[in-house]
Amino acid sequence: MTSRSREKRRTAPAGGKTYAFQLFVAGNESNSTQARDNLARLCREYLTGRHEITIVDVLKDAATAYTHHVLVTPTLILIKPLPKVLLLGNLSDTRHVLAALRLIGGKQ
Amino acid sequence: MARPTRRVHEQEEAGLRKKRKRISKIPTGIVGLDKVLDGGLPAERMTLVGGGPGSGKSIIGLQWLLAGADTGEPGILVLFEERVASVRQNASGLGWDLAQLEQKGLLCLLDARISPEAVVSGDFSIKGLLAIIGQKAKAMRARRIVIDAVDALLYLYDSPMRERHELYTLHEWLLDQKLTTMMTVKTVPQEESPRYAFLDFMADCVIHVDQRVTQQITTRRLRVVKYRGSGYGRNEYPFVISQDGINVIPITSNVLQHRPLGSKVSSGQAGLDVVLAGGFRRGASTLILGIAGSGKTTLACIFAQAAGRRGERVLYLNFEESAESMVGNMLSPGLALGPLIKRGTLVVRSYLPEAMGVEEHLFHALKALDELQPQHVVVDAISACKRMGSEQAAFEYLMRLLNDCRERGITCFYLNQATSLDIVAEISGIGISSIIDTVVLLRYLQVGHAMKRQLLVMKSRGSKHSDLFHEFHITDRGIELEKT
Repeated sequence: MTSRSREKRRTAPAGGKTYAFQLFVAGNESNSTQARDNLARLCREYLTGRHEITIVDVLKDAATAYTHHVLVTPTLILIKPLPKVLLLGNLSDTRHVLAALRLIGGKQ
Repeated sequence: MARPTRRVHEQEEAGLRKKRKRISKIPTGIVGLDKVLDGGLPAERMTLVGGGPGSGKSIIGLQWLLAGADTGEPGILVLFEERVASVRQNASGLGWDLAQLEQKGLLCLLDARISPEAVVSGDFSIKGLLAIIGQKAKAMRARRIVIDAVDALLYLYDSPMRERHELYTLHEWLLDQKLTTMMTVKTVPQEESPRYAFLDFMADCVIHVDQRVTQQITTRRLRVVKYRGSGYGRNEYPFVISQDGINVIPITSNVLQHRPLGSKVSSGQAGLDVVLAGGFRRGASTLILGIAGSGKTTLACIFAQAAGRRGERVLYLNFEESAESMVGNMLSPGLALGPLIKRGTLVVRSYLPEAMGVEEHLFHALKALDELQPQHVVVDAISACKRMGSEQAAFEYLMRLLNDCRERGITCFYLNQATSLDIVAEISGIGISSIIDTVVLLRYLQVGHAMKRQLLVMKSRGSKHSDLFHEFHITDRGIELEKT
């Protein structure tokens, strides 16, 4: 049902835990595009080979947004490793995002 | 005389209605509010309901959705602040079974609370929410939606510009979807916030509700601030939240629809009937004025007894004593009220004036008129009504009650306790004397070593009456007038 709206990118795990993300976007609005780019860049730099991103377009798949209680776009959910993390916004503040995802030490 | 005037009024009304035809409206399901809104909320537009915490705005929204569900029209309630479960629970306190409506697909409670653990990084929009609402509305065929506590969403934005932009997007989207929307927003009284000013400009209809405490008594008020393309009641209207939801009490309708006074009806006392040239007129309002112990209650109860014998019902609103103590006290002048109460021809409702605000008193009184359909009403005593809050509160209560009795053709007796022997100065009776048809004055007079009781009919609209002071006695057979 969601094949149209999801695109999966998978890289083989290579050391460390695999990070599974779900990114909710609204079509190609600018915040969503930025979030996509920011997440991709971040994964390339910090999670090479050990990330999994599922992108859900809420405009095409509102049901999944509802199930995951996603009200704003973009929303990034870190599914694995636990605990879950919920990030709202275009992910422009890299340090902030990395801290929230526990990829760097505490916030500054 | 009366007929042509009325016809003119009807023509004017019809003319106004024709002009207002352009806007299609959806009733709120709250009778009084629909009157104030001249029919209801603007269809396919947005209405804003603003008010402080506990002011009743969410209940107004829910009641509107339930009114829709009643007619088979589904609705969505988007909750930005309250939990779905607690809304269900609170509603059940008002006798509303939301879960059942949800199962039938007539209602959807949408939890739109943003997780407090969410981390914000960069800009975002509420497109997700709109997508969810859109999908739900389509699936349910919902045409009405309530967005509760939109302010909770706005707190996520730290810039007023972004806030406005999102609200604007939301508004545009709702209009595009042709949904009729009610949006509630918390306002802080006495604080001009640009956020709400903006919302007021955006919405087509704006309603403000508040809850205030005057002299230790809480009252609720509702006011329509604007309504694009429609007329509306421009005053502040009291409302109550009772067991069955919101009840708005518009103080006055535009047109007086009083019924003309009816035939004479006996006062229950032969001598007084002579003085009144046959008795009181049906549908008339009578003020009985006198100091404590002058016989006001006795006079009213004699009337009630006579009415009961004719098979007519009297509603006795007592602000001075309980039904039991009234029945006991009236045994002395030989009145047996117990059997009348048992038969239901006399219904005594005793209230402590300060127990509730004026609108709640009104609500109970008007509900009693609806339920009991009495021919006569006694208010004992209007002087105690000041304890509902203020002289103004008492005036509102008495005017509205009198107005309703007038429209229904109910005979009304207002007992007023004077505080001095110079009671003529107190005749006004909280400023309502001009709409009173008959005034009966009871007084004491010192004659030699004795106090004599005297009765005077000061005015009796539409009827002949004696203009003499009549001496009377209260005996164990009621009131007896001395022959003059």
